[in-house]
Amino acid sequence: MKWLGRKHELAGDGHQLASTELFRDLGARELRIVDAFVQERSFLAGEVIFDEGEEGQALYVVASGKVAICLPGRFETPLAELTPGSFFGELGLLDDSPRSAQARALEPVTLIVLSRSDFERLMESHARIASRIALQLARHIGRRLRQMVAASPIGKSLS
Amino acid sequence: MTASGLPYRAGPLVWAANIGATCVVLFLFQKILWLVVPFILALIIYYVLMPLKLQLLLRGVSHDRAAAWVSLLAFGVFLAGAVLAFPAFFGEAIAWQDSAMRYLGGGIRLLAGAMSDLEQRFGFIAQSSAREMLELQLGGFFEHFAEKYLPGLAMGIVAWSPSLMLAPFLAFFMLRDGWRFRRFLLRAVPNAYFERSLYVMDEVDRTARQYFVGLLQLTLLDTVCLAAGLWAIGISGALTLGLVTAVLAWVPYIGSIIGCLLVVLVAATDFPGQPGVAYAAIALFLFVRLLDDFVFMPLTVGKSLKMHPLLTVLMIFVGGAVAGVPGLMLVLPVLGVIMVIGETLGLLLTDPRLRARHAHEQALRQQLVTRDLPLPPC
Repeated sequence: MKWLGRKHELAGDGHQLASTELFRDLGARELRIVDAFVQERSFLAGEVIFDEGEEGQALYVVASGKVAICLPGRFETPLAELTPGSFFGELGLLDDSPRSAQARALEPVTLIVLSRSDFERLMESHARIASRIALQLARHIGRRLRQMVAASPIGKSLS
Repeated sequence: MTASGLPYRAGPLVWAANIGATCVVLFLFQKILWLVVPFILALIIYYVLMPLKLQLLLRGVSHDRAAAWVSLLAFGVFLAGAVLAFPAFFGEAIAWQDSAMRYLGGGIRLLAGAMSDLEQRFGFIAQSSAREMLELQLGGFFEHFAEKYLPGLAMGIVAWSPSLMLAPFLAFFMLRDGWRFRRFLLRAVPNAYFERSLYVMDEVDRTARQYFVGLLQLTLLDTVCLAAGLWAIGISGALTLGLVTAVLAWVPYIGSIIGCLLVVLVAATDFPGQPGVAYAAIALFLFVRLLDDFVFMPLTVGKSLKMHPLLTVLMIFVGGAVAGVPGLMLVLPVLGVIMVIGETLGLLLTDPRLRARHAHEQALRQQLVTRDLPLPPC
């Protein structure tokens, strides 16, 4: 039915992006620029967004709903549960590696999608947006690293 | 990448389908050439103007405004060029017929000179009176040229003009609504195939952009090399001649032959009685063609089409056989785009994981819309 349907699009002013972790440091003008490159995508509860091992072609920001990052077959519980404002799928774009985990919608989800080509275009062509996004990505990866260290036996013994 | 983690490689079936699809597309294109030609011109304009639109987008201008500003700028440049060039163009137009006849005469004299040289060296050519026959046939051709071919040529220009006027309109709408069309197509794609579709669209866009931009770069390089060479030989109108022959080279093989003939005609007319200059022009033309095929082409157009050289040559012949001159021109970009689509379709159809995910999505959707349909127990 997708051929017949027409869903609403982003407002175009970047308002929705302002509340997300990745883009919150951007000013109104930069948000408008990013907004020109992103699109929305909806997933049903239980639907797989991407699989581990796939080639990453996009970065996702959760606009509504909950997304689980999991490694099915190896871990029973999700590695992380992402709520509105969080983002995922960035690693595949940063180092061209295959997806390191599976992303699955825990409830009906609306995602804001930034494709690889548009992400690269923004990073190459707009120094201010690129530096803000790079800083957020570095913070995000640093936070994740600290969480991993804290969860490891060495981290537990240190704490 | 496939579900098994191994990189996907298209098999013989996909290759055969790609080649078959290219032939079908070329055949259909030939039937709607009045639309295909302006569409291709529009694509060239679109890819030339797209970087400007992108710069405006990156400065916070909306898609619609950026497209309008860029189109206005392009129209302004075209208008200014037309205003400056048209008076000179029409002023010279009457002299063109005389020039054309003068150059043709020069070419015939060169041919006749070459034939008489050959007749002096080889007796059997003199006995066959090949020179008289050639002169007779060429004389007949030029005598009836105006009445036989000019009306058809004029009618062709009149018939094609409205169609060519479509090109700027198409280019404007491509600039304004291209991104909307892309999103519209992506919305129709099931979630399981979404990321692959993003990849296909980017690749198709990249292939087409590199091809058309590469073609323009190639034309510029050819023009500069030919103009420099012709100027060094001393032939008049070197830059114009270089540009015309470089544009003619857009049609593989046939365009090059016509371009070479043009250069020889001008050389023979500018230097009557000095066949050495015409031969030098031919040598220059062949040198630039070699440079074009082995250096410029791989650096510009070749980058976009990662094809085996043998396949490229074979497909040019196939394109010519299926759709004539338009087939020769269009076969490579069409094959490049179809290859990307064909390989991705091959990957999608042979990837059981993606199909399973799509089936799962459909099952979830079905479950969602039918959950209140069963009657509650009484």
